[in-house]
Amino acid sequence: MIRLIDYLKCINNGVAIIAGLVLLACVILILIDILLRELHISFGGSEEISGYVMAAISSWGISYALTTKAHVRIDIIRNKRQPLGRAVFDLTALCATSYVAVYAAYYVIPVFEKSFKRNSLANTSLETPLIIPQSIWMAGWLWFAVSSCLLLICALWLMYKKSYQPLNDMIGTETE
Amino acid sequence: MLPFSFFGLLGLLALSLPVGIVLFLLAFGIDSFFSPFPLMRGLGQVLWSSSNHSTLIAIPLFVLIGEILLRSGVAQKTYRALNAWVSWLPGGLIHANIATATMFSATSGSSVATAATVATVATPQAEKLGYDQRLFTGSIAAGGTLGILIPPSINLIVYGFLTESSIPKLFLAGIIPGISMALMFMIITVIICSLYPRLGGPKQHSSWKEKLFALQSLLPVLCLLFGIVGSIYLGWATPTEAAAIGVFISFLLAIIYKACSVQMLLDSLSGTIRITAMIMLVVLGAYVLNFALTAAGVGRTLQDLLESLGLSAIATLLIIIAMYIVLGFFIETLSLMVATIPIVVPIIVQLGYDKIWFGILMIILVEMALITPPVGLNLYVVNSARKNGKISDVVVGSLPYVGVMILMIILLIAYPSISLYLPTNF
Repeated sequence: MIRLIDYLKCINNGVAIIAGLVLLACVILILIDILLRELHISFGGSEEISGYVMAAISSWGISYALTTKAHVRIDIIRNKRQPLGRAVFDLTALCATSYVAVYAAYYVIPVFEKSFKRNSLANTSLETPLIIPQSIWMAGWLWFAVSSCLLLICALWLMYKKSYQPLNDMIGTETE
Repeated sequence: MLPFSFFGLLGLLALSLPVGIVLFLLAFGIDSFFSPFPLMRGLGQVLWSSSNHSTLIAIPLFVLIGEILLRSGVAQKTYRALNAWVSWLPGGLIHANIATATMFSATSGSSVATAATVATVATPQAEKLGYDQRLFTGSIAAGGTLGILIPPSINLIVYGFLTESSIPKLFLAGIIPGISMALMFMIITVIICSLYPRLGGPKQHSSWKEKLFALQSLLPVLCLLFGIVGSIYLGWATPTEAAAIGVFISFLLAIIYKACSVQMLLDSLSGTIRITAMIMLVVLGAYVLNFALTAAGVGRTLQDLLESLGLSAIATLLIIIAMYIVLGFFIETLSLMVATIPIVVPIIVQLGYDKIWFGILMIILVEMALITPPVGLNLYVVNSARKNGKISDVVVGSLPYVGVMILMIILLIAYPSISLYLPTNF
C-alpha cells in the first residue's frame, strides 16, 4: 500500500517536471513572438498557445500539488487535536477533495466530447482543433480524480491500521 | 442563500478542507438548494474557459522568476547590499527586511513569494544578532505584502482581467501607494524602535566605501526590474510577455552567478507547478462559485439590499471596506478578490468611484488580509521559514504594520490622486 503511494508520488513528480518544461517552452515561444514583432513579422500564436499551456499545467499540476500537500488548508482547529483527531480531519478533507475531483472529471468529459463530435476549431488565426488542447486538459482532470481516489484508499487503509504518523506524512498539513 | 454561503464557507474552512475545494462544494450546494435549473452541467465549460486564458500564464511565470532568484543567491546579495544602506536606522536589520521586500516586490508578482524569499534570507540573521522575533518577523510578513501592490502583481492582473480595466494603468496606479507604504513601514519601525530600543537589534554602520561597493549587488535586481517594468511601458510587451522576459533575465542572472544547473532548473520548475496549481485550484473554485452565485442572482440581491438602505456613496464605501476587513480574517487573498470583484466593483462604479482607484484600495485591503489571523498566508510563510517559534509572535509583530495599512486606506480615500496621478498623467 505504501509502495502504491510511492509510485503515485513518483508519477506526479514526473508530471510536474514535464509540465514545467512545457511552461519553459512556452516562455521561449513568447520571447520569439516578441522578437518577431519587433522585426515586424507577425506570428501572434503565442497568446493562444499560452492559454492552452495554462489550462494543461493547471489541470495536471493539481494532482502534484495534492501529493505534495500544497493545497492551502486552514488547520487551526485541526492542529489542536490528538493524532487520531487530526487523522479524522485529514481524511474528511481528502474525501471532499476526491468527491470534487470525481465530480469535476465527470463534467469535464462532455466538453471534450462536444469538440470531438463537432470537430470544433478554435476561433483564431491558428484554427487549432480544440480536441488537441482539450484532451490534454481533460486527461489532467481525470488523473486528478484517479490520484485523489488512490490516495483516499491508501489513507483509509492506514486509518484502519491505526498508522497515524504515515497518514500524517501522506495527507497532513505542512504548517505545524 | 446568503447565510448559507457565509456559514457554509466558514464551517467548511474550519474543517480544514482545502480552500479551493470549499469553494467548489459551496457552488455545488447553491446549485442543489437554490437554483431552479441544474447549473453544474456547465461545470466543464466553466473550468475550460477560465483556465484557458493567456493572461493567467503570467502567474506561473512570475512564480518561476521568484523560484529562480531564490535559488541563484540574488536574494542574499540584495539583502546584504540594502543592509549596508539602511541598517544604521533605529531598528537595524528590520529596515533591510522592508527594503529587500520592496525591491523584490518590483520583480515578483506575489506577496507570498516575496515574503518567502525575504524570510529565507533574513531569519537566520535575526537569531544570530539577538533581535526581538516579533517585530522582525512581522516586518517581513508585512513587507512581503507589498509584492501585490508594487508592479508587477498577479493580483492586479487578475483584477484587471475580471473588471476589464487596463493592466498597465493598474500597475502605474500601484507605484506611489506601494512606495509610500514601504516608507511608512520604515517610519513606524523607527518610531517603535526609538521608543522601545530592545525590540530592535544593534544598529549597523557601514562606511561609504562599503555602501558604494554594495551597490553593485543591487544591479541584478535593477536589471530585472527594468526588464519587466520597462518592457511594459516602452510598449514592447504586454504584462504577460514582460513576465516571460523576466524569466529570461533571471535565468541569465542565475548563469552569471554560476547557480544554474539541471537540478536547480528542475527544482524551480516543479516548485513553480506546485505553487501555480495551488493558486489555480483556488481561482477555478472561485470562478465556479462565482458562476453559481451569479446564476442564482446573489449580486442583484446584494445590490438591492445596499440600495434599499439609501446610504451615501462614502457610507456604502465604508461598509464595503469593513466587509473586506472582516472577510480578510478568514478568507485567503486571491479567493477573496475573485469571489467579490464581480459583485462589489459594479456597485462601486455605480457610486461614481474610479475602477483603477478601487483596484488599488482593494489590493491594500487584501494585503491586510494576508497578515491578519487566523487566515493570513504571509504569517504562516514567515513562521515556517524560521522553523521554530510560535505563530503568535509573527501576528503581534505585524500589528503596527496593519495600522499603517489602515492609515494608507484613509489617505487613499481622502486623496484619490495618490494612486490616480500616474495613470492619468502618463
